[in-house]
Amino acid sequence: MFKFKSTIATTIGLMLILSFAWSGAFAESYRIIIDGSTTVGPIAKAFAEYYMAKHPDVSVTVSESGSGNGAKSLINGVCDIADMSRFMKNKEFAAAVEKGIMPVAHVVAMDGIAIIVHPSNPIKSLTVQQVRDIYMGKIKNWKELGGPNVEIVMISRDTNSGTYETFEKLVMSKKKIHEKSEYVGSNGAIRQRVQSTKAAMGYVGLGFVDRSVKALEIDGVMPEASTIVSGVYPIARPLFMFTNGYPKLGSHIFSFITLYLTPKGQEIVEEIGFIPVTRY
Amino acid sequence: MLDGSFSTVGVIAIVLMFISLVILLGPIFARGFGAFVFKGTVEYRKLMLDKFGRGDRERIIAEVAGAAKTREPVYELMEQFRVELKEKDYDYRSRYGQPFKELEELVEDLFGPAPGSSMPVLVRGQYGQTRWDRANVKLGNILFIEEYDYSDSSKMGELVLVPRADLFAGTSLEPLFRLLESDIEKMMRPRTTVYWRFLFDGSYDSHFFGGIWPELLGTFYLAIGAMLFAVPLGVITAIYLAEYAGDSRFVSLLRTCISSLAGVPSIVFGLFGLAFFINAIHVSPSKSVLAGSFTLALLVLPTVIRASEEAIKAVPRSYKEGAMSLGAGKWRTVVTVILPAALPGILTSIIISLGRAAGETAPIIFTAAVSVGKPLALWETMSQPTPALPWNIYNLATEHEAVDEIRHVQYGMVVTLIVLVLLLNITAIVLRARISKKLRG
Amino acid sequence: MPDVIKTADSERLRDGLLMSKGALRMQSVGALAGRSILIAIASSSLIAILFIFYFIIRDALPFFQIEGIREFLTSTRWYPSREEAEFGALAIFFGSALVTLGAVVVAVPMGVLAALCLSDILPFSIRQVVKPVIEMLAAIPSVVYGFFALVVFAPLMQERGGSMLAAGAWIIFAPLAVLATAVLSDLLSSRLDGKARLVSQIVSVALVGGLFLAGLLRMHGFLVGLTIVSGTNALNVSIILGIMALPTIVSVSEDALNAVGRDLREGSYALGATRAETLLRVVVPAARSGIMAAVILGVMRAIGETMVVWMASGNAARIPGPWFNFLEPIRTLTATIAGDMGEADHVTGSARYHVLFVMALCLLMFAFISNLASEIILRRARKRGSV
Repeated sequence: MFKFKSTIATTIGLMLILSFAWSGAFAESYRIIIDGSTTVGPIAKAFAEYYMAKHPDVSVTVSESGSGNGAKSLINGVCDIADMSRFMKNKEFAAAVEKGIMPVAHVVAMDGIAIIVHPSNPIKSLTVQQVRDIYMGKIKNWKELGGPNVEIVMISRDTNSGTYETFEKLVMSKKKIHEKSEYVGSNGAIRQRVQSTKAAMGYVGLGFVDRSVKALEIDGVMPEASTIVSGVYPIARPLFMFTNGYPKLGSHIFSFITLYLTPKGQEIVEEIGFIPVTRY
Repeated sequence: MLDGSFSTVGVIAIVLMFISLVILLGPIFARGFGAFVFKGTVEYRKLMLDKFGRGDRERIIAEVAGAAKTREPVYELMEQFRVELKEKDYDYRSRYGQPFKELEELVEDLFGPAPGSSMPVLVRGQYGQTRWDRANVKLGNILFIEEYDYSDSSKMGELVLVPRADLFAGTSLEPLFRLLESDIEKMMRPRTTVYWRFLFDGSYDSHFFGGIWPELLGTFYLAIGAMLFAVPLGVITAIYLAEYAGDSRFVSLLRTCISSLAGVPSIVFGLFGLAFFINAIHVSPSKSVLAGSFTLALLVLPTVIRASEEAIKAVPRSYKEGAMSLGAGKWRTVVTVILPAALPGILTSIIISLGRAAGETAPIIFTAAVSVGKPLALWETMSQPTPALPWNIYNLATEHEAVDEIRHVQYGMVVTLIVLVLLLNITAIVLRARISKKLRG
Repeated sequence: MPDVIKTADSERLRDGLLMSKGALRMQSVGALAGRSILIAIASSSLIAILFIFYFIIRDALPFFQIEGIREFLTSTRWYPSREEAEFGALAIFFGSALVTLGAVVVAVPMGVLAALCLSDILPFSIRQVVKPVIEMLAAIPSVVYGFFALVVFAPLMQERGGSMLAAGAWIIFAPLAVLATAVLSDLLSSRLDGKARLVSQIVSVALVGGLFLAGLLRMHGFLVGLTIVSGTNALNVSIILGIMALPTIVSVSEDALNAVGRDLREGSYALGATRAETLLRVVVPAARSGIMAAVILGVMRAIGETMVVWMASGNAARIPGPWFNFLEPIRTLTATIAGDMGEADHVTGSARYHVLFVMALCLLMFAFISNLASEIILRRARKRGSV
């Protein structure tokens, strides 16, 4: 019995010591806290890693909890940068000012919302009107669009996402999404559902389109960097990072938030699949 | 007949339970193993040398050079075609321009940036495929085009694999595909690799490379932190219930509260943690390990209380009576006689609760977990949030921008979490078996 | 005379019966203080429960002022993010109820049978092996179940949904059918004697068994033909939740069955009953309330689970049509809380934030009430057992 107890005690002790030793290696550091949209998340994460690699004394944490949550955190003063895939709402501005916070928007990239289907789907292009009808539940079967006789599985982002709100604004034009639509928590999850479901249709930020799904032409325009930059593609939006006031020149937050203006930053934005603003 | 069928059905129910455990754990263990032991390519060894300074520098540099040499013909063929493309007429260019660009991207995906081209900023672009299984997938993408046959309009299209070589038939690029297919092993040099440091490395480029240390450490902090609060409260409550409390109304109310607490859904704990620890009493300005630990402590409190109470009650009466008859006071008896005797049982309850706290997700969503963060130092846990295994499994499996590329990391995390929890539980089971043996004599 | 007497000294003093008045007072004050500290600490779970209720209610109440409760309970239109937001949560309540029902269907027969098997049929040595398996099922974190449901189970369901369902149906229903046949034929012929009994048994087995077989075959045909459009649906979640609720149901009902006691069983055997008869007519009825409590606890586990439903239920806030269509996506209370909390702006105190607390309150009330119910049932059973 005794031996057993001591073994456990030693194990726990060792684990503790190990974590102490390991964590001791990192000195206390300057912190940048980022919260907000899952769409802007990849940019923030990539920026964070790039920035931390260049400035080992800075620690950046990124939460991806939705645009609204990002705004909330900024207003409450608990994050330094709020990622948002939509602009701040008036109500949020009002709440911020009340708390003495002055949100400043930085447009870090442009993003198109691509309508995606499974690659086995013969449909190549739709109009905005058709997409709206599908999500309103008016068009229920791929047959009605010239496809096979299969019921459409529509997948939507959760209502807490900027992507959802942008989609609602640009595509649904205030019409309601039919309640049969599935809701998932992130862009990645939509793509995953679409790539594993032949009858599915979803919408994701351009950065999440890859080989495993097929992006549709909308009103005859492919969602691509060029069409989004030129404004031809109808479902496009800017992506924001909000800070409290304009960051002080030379501060870490300043150099972080202006990363998107540097060539390296633009390259990162491009590599993840979004469109750098300077091209805009 | 009735007897027999009855037993059979019962046995089937139990067998089904076994089967569901196997079905659940089988694929997860099989694929999770791949996070630790896999065939690593030369790119993997290069990455390890560059980023972590691991491996025999000379040998790896020689190996990389060797691999680069075998890749040379590929790049030569492509260069040749590039020249050809420039010289030929518009038709030729418009026919092959786009497919060639796609091919270039695919080759870069497989081998990393071509020699002479500029280095991408993101780590994921700086190296080719580090894992042989992924390299084969990418090679498949180069060799075959996934096309869909839409001719049967009553069904969804059927997948047809068209050799990409057909697309470039008759051009100078045609030999490239055969070359790639036959020499890929020389170009990538797969070798069985054991990456046990997966547990102790930080992540590179949002989990494309590297390991899961920040998550693992965060889980330790959260679980151990929760126990720091839950164990004293729980054990003292158990002592009270077992040794002091009679059968009063207050005690039965207390018991009802404990079992109610055990029944509260975990997401409600999460909301409460947010509303109370963060929004009301501000243990930290926003999410932090501390707030998460508090929330988890409440969650495991009933488990600790119940199991400790049982352990204390299981101590033979004779111990207590012996101590009392020697003149020891009640408290003294409890501290010097009963608690030591009940310690193994209490330890069991702590270990089980530790496993529970480590695996819970819902309570830490709003109180402690973030998707990217450095490993925290101990004093930072008071104010900072942390990545944690359960939350990051969810995050990587649903929110990551390249879910498929990092499947092995997800499985690796899941396996790590399961092994952690099951090890704790098995320890508890063994411990309990020993206790019952001892009590039986 | 020292003012403060150390504990060790006081022991010695008491032994020597030499306690001064001051020391005595000290001791009684100390004991009282110790006891009240002890009680204070022991009340931590009481305080925790009170605080949880208080803070959830505090943030839930404003919703009723802003929106009222009627729409929340009667409408199925869940559009919390629109300008004219709608908060009809009926479909979400329904979703929670549906998956819980599914989980009960999966877990209760299996769990109770397994418990019977463990308590009365299997030898002790095998029981020692089975128990850890059950504990392992209980210990696996819910996010792992969710990961499995989303990454392994959902695609599998989509690819070979029909045949998988059919196989599952055979595995579950075939043994049940055999058992039901046996029980029924036994019941039908229990009044008869001798030859008539044998004949009636054979006839009833043939009849009932044939009926069940026909039913099963039809079900097989129906299921094989089924295509599952979307693998993240109520069925997927129900099965996983059922497996998650199993350990609770098995262990609690096994305890109840064990509590029935040897003498009752032996009495039944002494009256000439077979083991099956003893189980069905004596043990199970005696343990009825315990099994009931087990089911309630299992239901609580299923309804309070978050990660699995959030990841794999499809999250569509809609009552499936027809309502028992398990192959459609649904949305549950827990998943709504987890998913919507991100957007809900705490600062402005919007209805959208408070509605989630209303949902949490509903969950909390449900858990509280069913917990009380199961306690009362168990307590009554214990009383009856002891009388």
